Amino acid sequence: MTYQSLAQGAGPRPWPRLWWDGFLRTARQLDRRAWLVVPPLALLLVVFVYPVGWLLLRSVSDPIWGLQHYERMIERPVYLHVLWNTVVISFTVTSVCLAFGYPVAYTMAHASPQVRRLLVFVVLIPFWTSLLVRTFAWMVLLQKTGVINDVLIGIGLLDQPAALIYNRIGVVVGMVQVQLPIMILPLYTILIRIDSRYTQAAATLGAGPIRNFLRVYLPLSMPGVATGAMLVFIISLGYYITPALLGGGGDVMIAQLIQMQIEEFGNWGFASALSVVLLFGTAVTIGLIYRIAFPKELRFIER
Amino acid sequence: MDKKSVKAPPGALMSSVDPEFSRRAFLIASSAVAVGGIGTMLTPLGNRALAAKKFEGRKVVFASWGGSYQDAEKVAYCDPFAEKTGATVLQDGPMNAAKFRTMVEAGAPVWDVVDVTDTFLYSAAKDNLLEEIDTSVVNVKRVSPEFVHKYGIGDIVWSYNLGYSTKIFNEQNHPRSWADLYDVKKFPGRRTLNQDVVPNLEIALLADGVPMDKLYPLDVERAFKKMSTLKEHVIFWQTNSQSQQLFIDGEVACGTILNGRAYDAVKKGGMLAIEWNQNIQSIDYLVVPKGAKNKELAMGLIDEMTVAENQAKVANLIAYSPTNKDAYASVDKQITPWLATSPQNAGKGFLVNKLYWQDHREKLNERFQEWKLA
Repeated sequence: MTYQSLAQGAGPRPWPRLWWDGFLRTARQLDRRAWLVVPPLALLLVVFVYPVGWLLLRSVSDPIWGLQHYERMIERPVYLHVLWNTVVISFTVTSVCLAFGYPVAYTMAHASPQVRRLLVFVVLIPFWTSLLVRTFAWMVLLQKTGVINDVLIGIGLLDQPAALIYNRIGVVVGMVQVQLPIMILPLYTILIRIDSRYTQAAATLGAGPIRNFLRVYLPLSMPGVATGAMLVFIISLGYYITPALLGGGGDVMIAQLIQMQIEEFGNWGFASALSVVLLFGTAVTIGLIYRIAFPKELRFIER
Repeated sequence: MDKKSVKAPPGALMSSVDPEFSRRAFLIASSAVAVGGIGTMLTPLGNRALAAKKFEGRKVVFASWGGSYQDAEKVAYCDPFAEKTGATVLQDGPMNAAKFRTMVEAGAPVWDVVDVTDTFLYSAAKDNLLEEIDTSVVNVKRVSPEFVHKYGIGDIVWSYNLGYSTKIFNEQNHPRSWADLYDVKKFPGRRTLNQDVVPNLEIALLADGVPMDKLYPLDVERAFKKMSTLKEHVIFWQTNSQSQQLFIDGEVACGTILNGRAYDAVKKGGMLAIEWNQNIQSIDYLVVPKGAKNKELAMGLIDEMTVAENQAKVANLIAYSPTNKDAYASVDKQITPWLATSPQNAGKGFLVNKLYWQDHREKLNERFQEWKLA
């Protein structure tokens, strides 16, 4: 289809016209308030779609056209290793967040209003300080001469200071602390909406507390688990400061690799390719978790 | 957007004015040149009259390596320059090779004077990233000739040393060679190494038994093989300040640290000491990135950095050796044992081979960074 034939309007209606017609029809059907989304959409277009398009383009065109950057990523084991690191660290952080966050969210959902307010306040405290400050605080706490090692040695649990920083432990501890609220809050909003009559009914029918939890409560809470886990996992995939400051040589994540490609080598093409992989990895994760954790029969909870 | 394409070509302007006007313009221009000439002749006199305010209200950006070193440079070089000329010296950094390159290639360097290592000077000069030193402003005679380069002036001599924690080791029992650094059985504990390829390959080869005078050209394969034996024990430091912190916090038993940074950490109460055996010396140069916006001020600042009194101040603050011989007279006695150029230290080490690195730096650093990730 050429622009000339478009202008003349010859032949069947060209697809841009059809698309525009469809758009107008939908727009007419929309509630007027829906137009409020236009400014944020326009902003997203400028600050998100444009740079991402630019990255995509650069990953196949800098310095020459071709897929050389993607080939390099597959050919050299180190890059796959970093991708693997990223997934493993993100998965570990998500699991620990879930293990710590679920009981907190459960308590919040079933506590008296006063206790609930207090817990929400406690959970939100970390958001009051910057990520950088919190990470540096962990450096102070976790180092060999830090408070944690001093206490462990003081009470006789250790006779040598343990290596808690510049390794995987440091990275996971730092990331979990930052991300716990992100796990707890969505989980809490789902748990508080679970109708207590379901568990009561199960109990009446003879289910013990463990069975009741596993067969009734837990499945009903799955959308919260999925939302929390998805958020934590996705945010973890792109983490930069915490692994850079608390991690060792074996804990390099993809965001650090991207930074290194630009800072160290000025290699924008390869950095772009890595960003594209990160972006698609994130998209695939979102899709998978939605598919797995939001089976259709559970979606009534959402309404 | 390229700046040049915005400007109208000079011919376009000339053709649009009438001949009469352009003759007048010519006369004005030529008389301006004449006045300028007289002005130049009068400069010494005029300078005295306006001495304090030569660059009043103007700014020059200085980039270096951050931390205690840049603090010392600020006090010793930048503050006197600002006081004399009225210019404001903005501090930036840390210096980063890729950032430097990107800035110059994009045609808009934000740095005017940059403190770089000799290996970078040589590769950047080769790639035409630097402005020539204006010897009419910079009095190059102040520094020893071996520190004068067409594109840079050496300001300090320093060294990579084997540092060790005095909480773990003592004067009698401590790692004394790079081979000891690699020996985790004899000297247990975590190590810290520089995150750059220089001088890690040299260190690995020395640890593997290659003598100092037979290092170059480097046996790269052997070096990487040796480095892989130590890797799991190593924390790589990103900045010099971090190397100091790792020793102060007791996170590492031994590792690479710059002599001046070790002096600074010890002065501040850090429990560490350095070994001079097999020290690896290097020189920092002051350069002006190609296309720097404040070239005139940049050259003036570099000139200030060659002054003996100022260089002595840096030496007294952070134990880096001056390149102006006259500065040694004002260096404190207690600093001398910390200087890389002191006879008892210089003889125990060697100078990094910048000609080797000029040709191999980029490729090997890429390989090194990949090795680090694996």
